[in-house]
Amino acid sequence: MAPALCVNCKTERALIKRPKNHAKLCKVCFIAIFEDEVHHTITSSQLFQPGEKVAIGASGGKDSTVLASVLKTLNERHEYGLDLVLLSIDEGIKGYRDDSLETVKRNAVQYDMPLTVVGYDELYGWTMDQVVETIGKKGNCTYCGVFRRQALDRGAKMLGIKHVVTGHNADDVAETVLMNLLRGDLARLSRSTSIVTGDDRSEVKRSKPLKYSYEKEIVLYAHHKKLDYFSTECIYSPEAFRGSARSLIKQLERVRPTAILDIVRSGEDMARLVPGESPSSCACKGNKTSPMVPAEDDIGGCGSQNGRTSGNEMAAMDKQLRENEAHEGLEVDVAMVMSESKNNGVKKHKEVPIRSGNGTSKSAPRQVRGNCSRCGYMSSQEICQACMLLEGLNKNRAQIQI
Amino acid sequence: MTSTPRVEGSLSRPCMKCRVQEATLDSRSQPVCRDCFAKFIAAKCIKQTGILGKETRLPLPTTGGPPTGTRHYMVGLSLGVSSTVLLHLLSENIEFQLARGRNAPFDLTVVHIDTTTTTTVTTPSPAVEEALTRYRTRYPRFTFHRTPLSSTTPTPSTATPTPLPTAASRSDVTRQLTRRALLEQARARGCQALLLGHSTTALAELTLAEAAKGRGFALPWLVKDGVAPVGGKRKGLGGGGGEGRENGDGGRNEDGEEEEEAGKGVLVYHPLRDALRKELVIYAGLVEPPLTDLVWETKDDAAAAVVSHKDLSIEEVMGRYFAEVEESYPSVVANVARTTGKLVRAGEGEAGGEWCGLCGMPLDEDGDERWRGELGIQERSDTGTGRLCYGCERSTAG
Repeated sequence: MAPALCVNCKTERALIKRPKNHAKLCKVCFIAIFEDEVHHTITSSQLFQPGEKVAIGASGGKDSTVLASVLKTLNERHEYGLDLVLLSIDEGIKGYRDDSLETVKRNAVQYDMPLTVVGYDELYGWTMDQVVETIGKKGNCTYCGVFRRQALDRGAKMLGIKHVVTGHNADDVAETVLMNLLRGDLARLSRSTSIVTGDDRSEVKRSKPLKYSYEKEIVLYAHHKKLDYFSTECIYSPEAFRGSARSLIKQLERVRPTAILDIVRSGEDMARLVPGESPSSCACKGNKTSPMVPAEDDIGGCGSQNGRTSGNEMAAMDKQLRENEAHEGLEVDVAMVMSESKNNGVKKHKEVPIRSGNGTSKSAPRQVRGNCSRCGYMSSQEICQACMLLEGLNKNRAQIQI
Repeated sequence: MTSTPRVEGSLSRPCMKCRVQEATLDSRSQPVCRDCFAKFIAAKCIKQTGILGKETRLPLPTTGGPPTGTRHYMVGLSLGVSSTVLLHLLSENIEFQLARGRNAPFDLTVVHIDTTTTTTVTTPSPAVEEALTRYRTRYPRFTFHRTPLSSTTPTPSTATPTPLPTAASRSDVTRQLTRRALLEQARARGCQALLLGHSTTALAELTLAEAAKGRGFALPWLVKDGVAPVGGKRKGLGGGGGEGRENGDGGRNEDGEEEEEAGKGVLVYHPLRDALRKELVIYAGLVEPPLTDLVWETKDDAAAAVVSHKDLSIEEVMGRYFAEVEESYPSVVANVARTTGKLVRAGEGEAGGEWCGLCGMPLDEDGDERWRGELGIQERSDTGTGRLCYGCERSTAG
């Protein structure tokens, strides 16, 4: 049998079966198509402004390494006019980040981009090792996770940069869509599919240019471009809902390769159906920029950001829901009883309606946007979670010193 | 002295509900007896049909005067466990009312969409006819119809000019067309509502499966109760009437005109939406004689030995997944369907939306616009069935 030819150039031998659609491509065409698709995402979502200074959140892993490489290539090829820098976070765990930070340092040389490593100590006044010393090994992951969420934004702010890009890929987004459906979290569902997060209030906006790129293609791209990345198998177990969604996605991908992208599409569409959301998210129509949504704080990628968990979130939620159901059974839903009697045309009761019965949808619980009164980071609370945790830590430190 | 009733004391494990019978089952982490379990399941169904009864009006007599007669519903019977349990519970409900000297609350037409004749096979499967004969004998009160999927519009062959590429595509297209065929049958037979046997688990599966097939936009139309578009033609859907009752609680529209308008679409209800699949399976075995004798299993459930992922459908993957989740976290399953119920039904603009030529669901203009030219998925030219939604594009793409 003659070797199959690349379906794109039709001259070279096909070496790669594209994970996204099983198209057979040669190496050169695969790399070109991968880059073109990221370019399409960037232009159609109008992610960047010429002259913009953009920090690439770099962990040394495959996603952020590919992101840095592709952005460098596209910035030169299509003259985006971007000033790209690498930004890495050091949690301050001795021995843990050494290898990956070395990788990022080599990337900085390879891509000729300045690198800034910001430590938790600079951002919060605490390294993770110090946190563990204070509160012990149990529960310290909560701190690490909460600190990590804000670290890139805080680091960017320190550098005077207003835009951070991260390496979240299509698998991560799809996983988050399914996870939020399982958790019944519509507010997060509507946020998680957005390519840009952060609104006018936030000083730093975040975006995910690899949102439509398959994890498998990112690995292939890194392999064929011979990129220098650090492959970490995360030592922490992912949160149960995410783990469950992740394995489901892998199965779906085997049955139908486009499923990951189809879930992303479903997620984007459903985001518009969440009561109270803006009906359109199209940026290419009418030349407006993508609407920005509050930062999504828990989109995955690295399991460790969810902290080491006991793995029983599903059980805990199941229990909680069951208790709610039991309580519902005990109480009388006055509004429902009334609306039923109203519909019956039996108007014996003359009570004042409790709910306005206009048939409009119950809106999903929406968080009120605001900023932390201490650090200014976007938060639905008066004081953000990181500042709350810091307060506790600092009290502890004071006591220890006494 | 103990104040506990004597009967309870004599039982090793009293039923948590009646406290007079021995508990033989576990229902939602409570020990219960057979009778209480059966009542519990029946109550779930009666509650929903009660709500439906308020949504539908009695037909007005041609001679004028107050409405008389009986509500008329259609049951979509797949010959599987859930729809069989639904049929049985509705039948029991009618018998109960009649035994008390009341009118029957509704009467039923039962339709089975026969998918065995879709492809090259044109003769009806004898197994289907045999199964329907069993149902007719058991429920002589109702009329049963078998409608071949191949006789519906769009037919599987016009909708899909090329042979469908994968098991996942075939399963998806068959499901969409079956649903459409049921809606068309319900309208053609003048039924006021189409009742489907989906359990909580089935609705959760449907939610995640349709999301995985790119039909997130249509989900509220598929999962919520309410008026559904039929056959892709414009229906006069009243704002309140079409919204589904989850969104309309406290504000069901009483307006007579709206009711008439809504009558042009078909009201779709899932009376078993509050029962888990495993509960329906238990129930089917409790009934005398067991409903499991009626059920026609098309495939061995012991499909555990998957030869290749290519032979699996998205629905099968979801089925396996939720069978596990249902076992350990039943409330999480219930929460999925409830959450989807909160989403808004869209695609019904003032000017009238367009519907997919295959599944009949509203098209998502904004989403399609946003997605255009994206991401390494080839666009197809028109196939003669009109525009397709994203999900149907995926399933029919070669």
